[in-house]
Amino acid sequence: MLDGHRFICPVAGTCCESDRNLYWTDPPFPSGVGLGLGNSLPCFSSSCRSGRHIRLPSSFDRMEFAELIKTPRVDGVVLHRPFMPTVEGTLCLTGHHLILSSRQDNTEELWLLHSNIDSIEKRFVGSLGTIIVKCKDLRIIQLDIPGMEECLNIASSIEALSTLDSVSLMYPFFYRPMFEVVEDGWNMFLPEEAFKEIEFLTDEWRLSGVNKDFTVCPSYPQLVTVPRSIDDDTLRKVATFRHGGRFPVLSYYHKKNGMVMMRAGQPLTGTNGRRCKEDEKLINTTLRAGKRGYIIDTRAVNVAQQAKARGGGFEQEASYPQWRRIHKAIERSSILQESLIKLVEACNDQSQSMDRWLSKLEASNWQTHVKEILTTACLAAQCIDREGASVLVHGTEGTDSTLQVTSLAQIILDPSCRTMRGFQSLVEREWLQAGHPFQQRCAQSAYSNSKARSEAPVFLLFLDCVWQVLRQFPCSFQFNEHFLVVLFEHAYASQFGTFLGNNAAERLKLKLPQKTVSLWSWINRSQEMDHFLNPLYEPNNLVIWPSVAPQSLLLWEGVFLRWNRSSKYLDEAYDEMVHIIEYNKELQSKVNALRRQLAQLETGDGLLETP
Amino acid sequence: MEEVPRVPGETVKAVAKDVMYLCPFTGAVSGTLTVTDYKLYFKSLERDPPFVLDVNLGVISRVETISMQIGENNRGIEIVCKDMRNPRFAYKEEQSKLEIFETLTKHAFPLSNNLPLFAFLYKETFPEDGWKVYDPVAEYKRQGLPNESWTISKINSNFEVCDTYPAMLVVPTSIKDEELRKVASFRAKHRIPVLSWIHPESQATIVRCSQPLVGPSDRRCKEDERYLQTILDANAQSHKLTIFDARQSSVADTNKAKDGGYESESFYPNVELNFLEIPNIHVMRESLRKLREVVYPSIDEAHWLSGVDSTHWLEYIRLLLAGAVRVADKLECGKTSVVVHCSDGWDRTAQLTSLAMLMLDSYYRTLRGFQVLLEKEWISFGHRFAARLGHGDENHANSERSPLFVQFVDCVWQMTRQFPSAFEFNELFLITILDHLYSCLFGTFLYNSEQEREVHSKTVSLWSYVNNHTEDFTNPFYVNYENHVIYPVASLRHLELWVSYYVRWNPRMRPQMPVHQNLKELLVLRTELQKKVEELQRDVASSRSVSSSSDHGPSPSHTSTPLYTTV
Repeated sequence: MLDGHRFICPVAGTCCESDRNLYWTDPPFPSGVGLGLGNSLPCFSSSCRSGRHIRLPSSFDRMEFAELIKTPRVDGVVLHRPFMPTVEGTLCLTGHHLILSSRQDNTEELWLLHSNIDSIEKRFVGSLGTIIVKCKDLRIIQLDIPGMEECLNIASSIEALSTLDSVSLMYPFFYRPMFEVVEDGWNMFLPEEAFKEIEFLTDEWRLSGVNKDFTVCPSYPQLVTVPRSIDDDTLRKVATFRHGGRFPVLSYYHKKNGMVMMRAGQPLTGTNGRRCKEDEKLINTTLRAGKRGYIIDTRAVNVAQQAKARGGGFEQEASYPQWRRIHKAIERSSILQESLIKLVEACNDQSQSMDRWLSKLEASNWQTHVKEILTTACLAAQCIDREGASVLVHGTEGTDSTLQVTSLAQIILDPSCRTMRGFQSLVEREWLQAGHPFQQRCAQSAYSNSKARSEAPVFLLFLDCVWQVLRQFPCSFQFNEHFLVVLFEHAYASQFGTFLGNNAAERLKLKLPQKTVSLWSWINRSQEMDHFLNPLYEPNNLVIWPSVAPQSLLLWEGVFLRWNRSSKYLDEAYDEMVHIIEYNKELQSKVNALRRQLAQLETGDGLLETP
Repeated sequence: MEEVPRVPGETVKAVAKDVMYLCPFTGAVSGTLTVTDYKLYFKSLERDPPFVLDVNLGVISRVETISMQIGENNRGIEIVCKDMRNPRFAYKEEQSKLEIFETLTKHAFPLSNNLPLFAFLYKETFPEDGWKVYDPVAEYKRQGLPNESWTISKINSNFEVCDTYPAMLVVPTSIKDEELRKVASFRAKHRIPVLSWIHPESQATIVRCSQPLVGPSDRRCKEDERYLQTILDANAQSHKLTIFDARQSSVADTNKAKDGGYESESFYPNVELNFLEIPNIHVMRESLRKLREVVYPSIDEAHWLSGVDSTHWLEYIRLLLAGAVRVADKLECGKTSVVVHCSDGWDRTAQLTSLAMLMLDSYYRTLRGFQVLLEKEWISFGHRFAARLGHGDENHANSERSPLFVQFVDCVWQMTRQFPSAFEFNELFLITILDHLYSCLFGTFLYNSEQEREVHSKTVSLWSYVNNHTEDFTNPFYVNYENHVIYPVASLRHLELWVSYYVRWNPRMRPQMPVHQNLKELLVLRTELQKKVEELQRDVASSRSVSSSSDHGPSPSHTSTPLYTTV
């Protein structure tokens, strides 16, 4: 049976550099994806010039996948994709990819990561089976497979391979980059480095290693920034008073006025109003004399009240007299997940009676969530920048809505977060190190049939909000929409290890930096970076206040209608803009060169005057 | 006292101080109100920078008194505008105030007060005469007409056959004038089938007309039947002719009872009749009225999308675009000639033929070509601008009013969104057209038909103004998709409410960052740089020749620093 496990070499020449092309053809050249008997695998593609042989990693555990692949290869499969010609070819299943190749020169191949598959549906007409593959990046493709048995085998193989439980079997552990890692993304955004910048501005904060073995707070990184005057013992006490041990830590320092934004888990006041002197002391030390601060609770008052019964709660005025508490109503993750499902259903509704489209869009409540998150972020930014007050943000766990708010507030306030590096650093600090459980939240996307456990589009909503701000300030961001779309894709399925695991502790345990490649290592190569740069970018050092009026917020077509439209004409317009800008640069250098030349001529003969 | 800015020919008619403008967004503000024969101009120095409201009088649909009591201000007035806003003022009952609002009403509705429209007083001159933009002979020549099957007929040169048609018509060569007259008597308002556009390759044509006067007794007209057969025969590529009746089929039946009707497929062999099911002008008027309620002044944030949905505005936009796509597709892919009509052939017909022509012919997607398209399909073919817009008429409740042209421009905007590089003009151009649709500053949109329109010598054309400011209206991303047919996706998901037009009075709609300004600057920079490069190349060349003639060769070893690093 293993005989058939031939690894397909994607069309040679295009394969190595095609990591960036994450659309239809998605061949992040998968060294060692295949399942073969030997250490090297022959290519069957006649167009493979080099007949390149691929070496499998020594750690490769074939049996894990081999048992799951019931039929590795079927000929005569027809692939249907919207806005693309149908392709007939050979379907192959490898440990991590579903591949469809027509085995002809110059035709695109479909490379689909199994981990990108959200759900599949089977249909039969006679002996022709059809599998509808619904992906986490929201695309839907159809495969017509001759032969009922083959079809059933393929379907159950895909189902098994796309729902692997073990993280260490995920593709990033097998992926070998076909590019040289110049700058290792795993070392680019270390907490020590981020702290250096703050240390340069103020001596009121210190880097604490209280969590170095992850016992104080399992979802925090080893190093966190806390007030200098608070010692580690106090932090340990505060941790027992905050949900998940998430004691208040520094999220953002506003250079302009020295105000800060902190984040935490909810205080565990319970029904009888428990207090924690150390907690009060910690957050009070961040206030300037005579100044008040703001606590932004991302939950509605009644939700926060109900949390008391489960041991949670919120800061009582009596215990925190110097703080004003404001409640906002960002929904819990399960509600966000339902909203995503409804939204995508509406977007994919092919029925002709689309007359209620806008109502359906509204009923999904997606835009309401976008608005609520942005509004809360604006509020936090306003407290800091306009009111000159420090802010503490928390919801329940402090790993979802809290991070949406703190990260968006920084985009509003801090121009450096709107740069390519700055934004990566923000995602790293406020999402990855801050312990947003990516593994859980992104396990399934909008097409999941199974009952949602802890899946939720929290990060996608954050990206949507960033896109809204980017759209309103099209020149203030160094990166473009494409970059945000790529982050969305990689959060759900990726060859890179960046979004694996739920927190720093898990990542350390999985040895991700040693065993996988960082997404940032790839994105920051100059060849890739070009695709993500906004040609209109002009650094804007101001605070940018987005409009949150409903008519200012649009549906993010680039994600939600991406597979329902052809983007050819939009792309051409974009290219034209890039072209004009490039051409202007060329002209400018030509002008400079000619001027130099002219000056030389003039000094040479000394007769003409300067024009 | 500071003068209000005026256009040439504009005179101040009344000024009143201490009038309060009740801004729905930023609150009440007091200031001076000036009324001229062209606009009302309110300025308040209470705010910094001063608050200014500038509304041209042409846009006013009605002026109503409202009950009011704000401090001393016990009178109120609401000015309902055709462009989706209704500013309100409050004032104290005093002679000067009463007078100014009387003056306002008088000049807002000049035709009801025996006054000329402002276009006849406007004295601006422009280097180019916009009335010359459209020359029917040149336009037909561009299309390759006349040819062996089609001729330019002078039969209507005195508007005798059809008073709402242009003087020059393109009809089949083989049809005699007597036959044309017979056909005219069988078509509503004598609007006979004439050619609007011909496909350069297949020779398939878009033909427009009004409904046939079939009546309840199923009248026939041999000449009309032969006429359509001739149109079919003129196109060798197809042995079918497709008629698109824009109306709802039920309405077409009702029309039959009222002496109108549609072509029976049994009397017109080889003809295929399709109804596009587009509702009439009254439905469209009502839809826009509802839309105004949704967008102005305040927006119900929780129900914004369903509010827009309930107006059905986008649904009608979709119907129109889908209809036009069918017309274009029939010509392009089906290589089949198409006849488009509704009842009178001057509303939905104009919408459909002009949209289809925009899809089929890249010329109409240029700044000039679009002007030609409007002049041709809308203005010369008798879209009843005066009746539909009610210029200068105080009778706002007239059932003839309808925003058909606005709807068409909205469709064009939807297309520009789906094909951002296919159009030479930008959004500002479309908004400018809509602003001057109402303003009565230019003569372009004032009348119902070519016959009524003797405005060329007495008024200025909008195109004179536009073509003097082309850089403002140019789309920086324009790539000439020559010979490209563009089919917009006519699905509601891909249509969007044109907020930068309908919701533009809401200050929260102001663009956060005027990106079009950046884009415009890019183009300006490009032109400047190109010029600079040429200049410098010339200079270098002449400098070289001078130096070589005087035997002073350039010294390559000499490294000079650049004189400038920027332009």
